[in-house]
Amino acid sequence: MRTYAPATTDAVLRAILADEPSLARGVTHHAVIPARVAEYRDHPEWLDPRIRAGLASRGIERLYTHQAEAIEAVRAGRDVVVVTPTASGKTLCYALPALQAIAEDPAARALFLFPTKALGQDQATEFAELSQAAGLTVSAATYDGDTPAPIRSAIRGAGQVVVTNPDMLHSAILPHHTKWFQLFEQLRVIVIDELHTYRGVFGSHVANVIRRLLRLCAHYGSKPVIVCCSATIANPAELAATLTGRTPILVDRNGAPSGERHVLLVEPPLTHAATGARGSNLTLAHRWAMPFLRAGRQTVVFGRSRTAVEIMLSTLREALRQDLGPRSRIRGYRGGYLPTERRAIERGLRDGEILGVVATNALELGVDIGRLDVSILAGYPGSVAATWQQIGRAGRRGGTSVAILVASAAPVDRYVVHHPEFLIGGAAEEARLDPDNLHVLIAHLRCATFELPFEPGEVFGPGVADDLLAFIAESGHIRQAEDGRWYWSSENFPASEVSLRTAAPENVVIIDTTPDRPRVLGEVDLFSAQVLVHERAIYMHDSVQYYVDRLEWHERKAYVHRVDVDHYTYANRAVTLKPLDVFAEAAAPGGRRVHGEVMVASLVTLFKKLKFGTDENVGWGPIDLPELELQTTAYWLTAEDLAGSWRRNDLDVALMGAGRAIQTVASVLLMGDPHDLGLVTQVRSPHHEAPTIYLYEATPGGLGLSVRLWERHDELIAAAAALIRDCGCEAGCPACTGPRLEPDVDARALALRLLAELSTASPVPA
Amino acid sequence: MSGATLERRLANYRAAIRATAGTAPVGRAGDRRDGGVARGSIELGQRLADALEGELVLDPAGPVVRVEPATVVLPIDRERLAALPGMPAAGVPLVCLDTETTGLATAAGTVAFLVGLGWWEDDRFRQVQLLLPDHPAEPGLLARLAAHIPPDAWLVTYNGRGFDWPLLVARYRMARMPAPAHMGHLDLLPFVRRVFRHRMTNARLQTVETELLGTARHGDVDGWQIPGLYLDFLRGGDAWPLIDVVRHNREDVRSLARLLVRIDADYADPEARGRQPLGDLAGLARSFGRVGRLDEALACLEAAVTGADRRPAIGASAPTPDRRAVAEVAAVLEPAADPADDGTGLPWWHPRRPPDVGGQGPRPSWERVVDGRLDSPWTVERVEIERGRMLRRLGRYDEAQAAWLNLAAGPGAIAVQAWIEVAKLREHRLADPGGALDATSRAMAIAERRRRTGLGDPIVDRALEHRLGRLRTRIRGATASQPRRQAVTRSTAIATEPPPPRQSVASP
Repeated sequence: MRTYAPATTDAVLRAILADEPSLARGVTHHAVIPARVAEYRDHPEWLDPRIRAGLASRGIERLYTHQAEAIEAVRAGRDVVVVTPTASGKTLCYALPALQAIAEDPAARALFLFPTKALGQDQATEFAELSQAAGLTVSAATYDGDTPAPIRSAIRGAGQVVVTNPDMLHSAILPHHTKWFQLFEQLRVIVIDELHTYRGVFGSHVANVIRRLLRLCAHYGSKPVIVCCSATIANPAELAATLTGRTPILVDRNGAPSGERHVLLVEPPLTHAATGARGSNLTLAHRWAMPFLRAGRQTVVFGRSRTAVEIMLSTLREALRQDLGPRSRIRGYRGGYLPTERRAIERGLRDGEILGVVATNALELGVDIGRLDVSILAGYPGSVAATWQQIGRAGRRGGTSVAILVASAAPVDRYVVHHPEFLIGGAAEEARLDPDNLHVLIAHLRCATFELPFEPGEVFGPGVADDLLAFIAESGHIRQAEDGRWYWSSENFPASEVSLRTAAPENVVIIDTTPDRPRVLGEVDLFSAQVLVHERAIYMHDSVQYYVDRLEWHERKAYVHRVDVDHYTYANRAVTLKPLDVFAEAAAPGGRRVHGEVMVASLVTLFKKLKFGTDENVGWGPIDLPELELQTTAYWLTAEDLAGSWRRNDLDVALMGAGRAIQTVASVLLMGDPHDLGLVTQVRSPHHEAPTIYLYEATPGGLGLSVRLWERHDELIAAAAALIRDCGCEAGCPACTGPRLEPDVDARALALRLLAELSTASPVPA
Repeated sequence: MSGATLERRLANYRAAIRATAGTAPVGRAGDRRDGGVARGSIELGQRLADALEGELVLDPAGPVVRVEPATVVLPIDRERLAALPGMPAAGVPLVCLDTETTGLATAAGTVAFLVGLGWWEDDRFRQVQLLLPDHPAEPGLLARLAAHIPPDAWLVTYNGRGFDWPLLVARYRMARMPAPAHMGHLDLLPFVRRVFRHRMTNARLQTVETELLGTARHGDVDGWQIPGLYLDFLRGGDAWPLIDVVRHNREDVRSLARLLVRIDADYADPEARGRQPLGDLAGLARSFGRVGRLDEALACLEAAVTGADRRPAIGASAPTPDRRAVAEVAAVLEPAADPADDGTGLPWWHPRRPPDVGGQGPRPSWERVVDGRLDSPWTVERVEIERGRMLRRLGRYDEAQAAWLNLAAGPGAIAVQAWIEVAKLREHRLADPGGALDATSRAMAIAERRRRTGLGDPIVDRALEHRLGRLRTRIRGATASQPRRQAVTRSTAIATEPPPPRQSVASP
C-alpha cells in the first residue's frame, strides 16, 4: 500500500484486513452497523411560518422524527430528554421551542446551559444564525466570565436567550435574581445540553443549582419546560430526572440518516506474555491511519493527551513526507491552539482542504467540522458516551465510514476491547450523581436561603428543609424569625464559597509559579491532595506536568512549577477502613453483599517514581502528611463461606486481584474515573470476621455509586471474571489483577477461582 | 432519608467538618441560645426604639423603628445651585438618602436595615432614620420609605446609583412591592470625582468630610463593622452598639447635605468660584464641558488661570522640566493609561473602576499614594492646555492658536506639545498645511534639544516624525497638479533637509 491512488474507505479497509496480517491480527472485534435511511416528519401545523421559512432557507424542508417528537412534547408542556448520536440535528430540538416561544411572545425568555464556555459561545452563534434566517430579531447572548460589564446589564434586561454555564448560573445569576427578574418571570424553556457530563460531584452540584433555579422560577411565577440533550448513555431519563427533579419524556428514536459504519476494536500485540506487556497504542493508531490517509480519505485521530497528539502528529507527518505524501494536509487540533487557528482547521476539514487531523477531545464536543471518513481513537476516551462522540466524527451519509478504537495498556481499555457488547450492543454505562449528598445539599441550601428566605415546611430536594436549616443555623449564618421563615443573616456571600467542581468544603489550591505572575492552576480536595500534590510529586494538569515544590498543608496551598520529565509519581496510600452503618444487606453466593457507610482513614507515607509507558520504578521518597479521615458510602462483599477452604496467603492475593478487577469494571459501568472508587481488601475483616472486599467512594458522603454497585453485584462479579479471563497475560498483570507483587504467585488463577466461587451458590471444591 | 438517618448523618457531618476544617465554623454557636425561639419583630423593635431613643411605628405592613435626629440649619440657594451642570431645578424636592446594609454584595440576600433620609424645610435640614427590627418586618420599612419620597423628588446620594438604590429596588422586588417613583437621582460621587479628585486621597464620603468640608468624626464606627453589629443584635445581642451605627448614618446623610451646600456656596456662584483652587475649576470646567456648556467651561478655565497667582496652587508644586512633567502632559494630550497606580491599572477616580466608598478595610493600594494625591497636579500650564482645547471646541480657532502659541513659549515638554497642538489646528482647522509643517518642525527642534539633555520621549518623537511625514506627503499631494518637474524638485528639496539624528551622543 505504498501508492497514493485514491480509493474508497471500504476498499482500503478490505485491503488492510486482507493484506496486512500484522494489523488484522490485533482486531478483537469487527462490527458493521448498517446504513439507515432518514425518517422525516412534516413541520407541525403550529410552527410559526417565519421559522418554517427560515428552516427552508437553510435546506430543512422537513424535520427528523426525533426532532418532531421532541418539539411536540415541549409544545405539550412536557420536559424532554433527547438522546441521539453526534450530528443528528440535536440543536433544533431545543432551538425550535425557544424560537417558537419568542415568535409567539417577544417577552418570552429561554436559558441555555452548556457545561463549558466555548461550547456555549458556539451554540449562541448557531442559534443567532437560525433566528436570523427566520427573520426574527432575537437577542441571544452568552453570559459568562468573559462578558464585559456594560453588556451584562443589557443582557439582564433584554436578553431573550441567555446562554451560560452552570458555574455562572450558580454564582452570578441566581444570587442576583432581582436584577434578572425579566428572565425569571418569563422563562419558558431551559436547555441543558451535554447532559451526560453532569455526573459525579459536578452533576450533584448542578442538580442543586437547578433546584435553586426552579425555586426562583416558582417565586416569579414562571413554569419553564426543561429540554435535556445527551449523548448515548444507559440511563438518560433517570439522569435527567435526578438532575432536574422532574420526569421527562425520553426521545431516543433517531430519525437522522447515516451511512454504513464499521467499528473495529483493536489491541496492540503482546510483547511479553509473562508481564502482559503490549506494544504502544500510539504506534498502532499511526499504522492504522496511514493507509487511509494515503488513499485520500479524511481521517481524524484522537489522542488522550496533548503529548500523545503531538507525538502522533509528528510521526504521521514524517511518514507521509518519506512517501512524498500530502504532509501539509495533516493538522493538529488541541487546547492551546489559537481560536483563529482552530477555526481555520475546522473550515479546512469541512471543505476538504485538510486531509487528516490529530486531536484531543477538544474536537469531541459540538464543534462543526462536517463529517469525515475515518475516526481512529488512540485509547478509550473514558466513557462510552465520549467514545461514540468521537466515533461519530466519521460517518458520511452516502458512503461507508470506519471507526477504530485502539486499546492502551490501561485495564479499562483492555476490558472494553474484549467486551464489544459493552460498547456496541446498547450502552451498559450509567451516569450517576447524588444531589442529596449532605455536603453538597447543605452548601446549596445556604445559597438558596441567601436568594430567598425559606418558608416553614418548604420542600427542597429530598424533603422538607427545616431540619437541615436548623442545622445550618447552628453556625449562625441563617436564623428563623418569628414568622417561622428562615432568613440569611450573615454578611458572607455563600455562592462564592461553593465551587461546583468539588465536594469537600476545603480544598488545596494549586498555584503555578512558572509564569512571572503566579496563577491558580486548580483545586483538589484534601483527600486527593495527599496523593496528588505532596511535595516532589509530579502533578498532571491538562496533560502538562508540574513538579510540586512545596505543599503548605495548613494553608491548603501547593506550589508547583512546570517540568517535562519522563516519569510520574504514585503515592502509596495506607488505608484503614471501618464500617459505620449498614444501609442494605443481602445474601450473595459465598457470603453477603453490603451497602453502607464507612470511615476511611488514609495515611500517605511514601511515593514512587514510575517511568511512562513501562511503569518501571525509578526512585522513591517519603511523604510527611497528617492522617486524614473520610466519611463516605461504600459497597462491600464478604466471603464467609469460603474462608475455610483457602490458604491465607492465596486468599490475600485472590482478594486483591479480584478487587482490582471489580474496581476496573465498576468504573467502566458507572462511567466514572478509576479514582472515584477506592479499594480495600481484608483477609479477615474485624467487622465481619470474614474475607472482605470494600469499594468506597472517594467523594465525602458518596455520590450514589456504591448503591448501584450493590444492586449490580452479580454483574460485577461476572464482568470481573471475564476481564481476567480474557486478559492475555500468564499470571496476572497490571491490566487485570494489578501489578504483580510476588513473582511466583499465579494471581490470575487465584482471583479467577475466588470470583468463580463468589458467582455460584456453593464453594467450588479445591 | 428518614429522620433518624438524617440525624446521624448530620452528627457525622459535624464531626467531619471539625476534623478536616481545624477551625471552628464562622458565627457564634452561643448566639442562638436565647431560648431557640425567635423574638418577635415588635419586641425587637421595642428594644431598638428604647436603646436608640426612637419610636416604634406600627405600619400595617410591619413594625419600623423611626429615629428623628435634631434638625440643623443649612441654608442653600437652590436657584443658584441649579446653574451647575447636572443639578436639579430649583423647585424640585430633594431627598438625601443613605443606607446601612447587612453586606456589600447588592445581591438578593443583602438587606438594607437602616435607611437614613434628609430634606430641606426652608433653611432647615430635617432627618429621619428608619430601622428594621427584624427580617419579617421589611415590608413595613419599605412602605414607610416610599411614603418619604415624593414622586417629583430627586434623590441625593453618594454612590447611590451603584449601590444604595439598586439594593433598595431589589428589596422592593423581593417584597413584591413597586419601588418608589422619583424624578431624578443626583449621585454626588461622580461630581466629587470630577472636581476634587486632584486633591483627595480617595473618594470616600469620610474623606470628603475631612478634606473638603473640614469636619471630623470622633469615635465613628468603621463601615466594615456595621453588618456584624446588626446581625449580632438579630441573633439576640444588645441593641446599644447600634447607637454608633445610627449616628454614623446620620452623619453620612448630613454630610451629603453639607457637601451640597458647599458646592452651592463655593462653586455655583461665579464670583465665589474664582477663589477656589485651580484644579477644582479645571474639574468643574470638565463638568460643564461634558454637558456642552462650553462657554461656562471656558469661563471656569479662564477664572482658574487669571486667579492662579493670588491663590496657593494646591498640588502645583511639581518640578517642571523633568520626565514626570513630560509624562503628565503627554497623558493629558493623548489619553494613555496612568502607569502610577495599583494592579487594576485604573486611577481611583476612573469611571470604570469600582469606587472605594468605605465598607471594607483600607485597601492596600491607597497606601501607595505619594504626597496625599493620586492624580497628577493641575498646573497653570495644564489648565492652559485645557483652555486651548476648549477654545478649539468652541470653534474660536484663532484664540485657540494664540493660547497654544503662548504655551509654546514656555518650558520644554509643554512647548513641544503646544506646537503639536498648533500644528493640528493649522492642518485640520485653519487649512494651513505649510504653517502646520512649520509648527511641527519647531516642535521637533525643541524635542531634539530635550533629547540631547536626556529628557526625550520616544513616543512623542515617533508621533512627531509621523506627523512630519504626513504633512510633507500632503503638501506634495497639493502641489502635484503643478508641473511634474517642479514637484520633484520640491520634494527633493524637502528630502534633503537633514533628518533629525536618531540618537544624541553627549560629548563632554
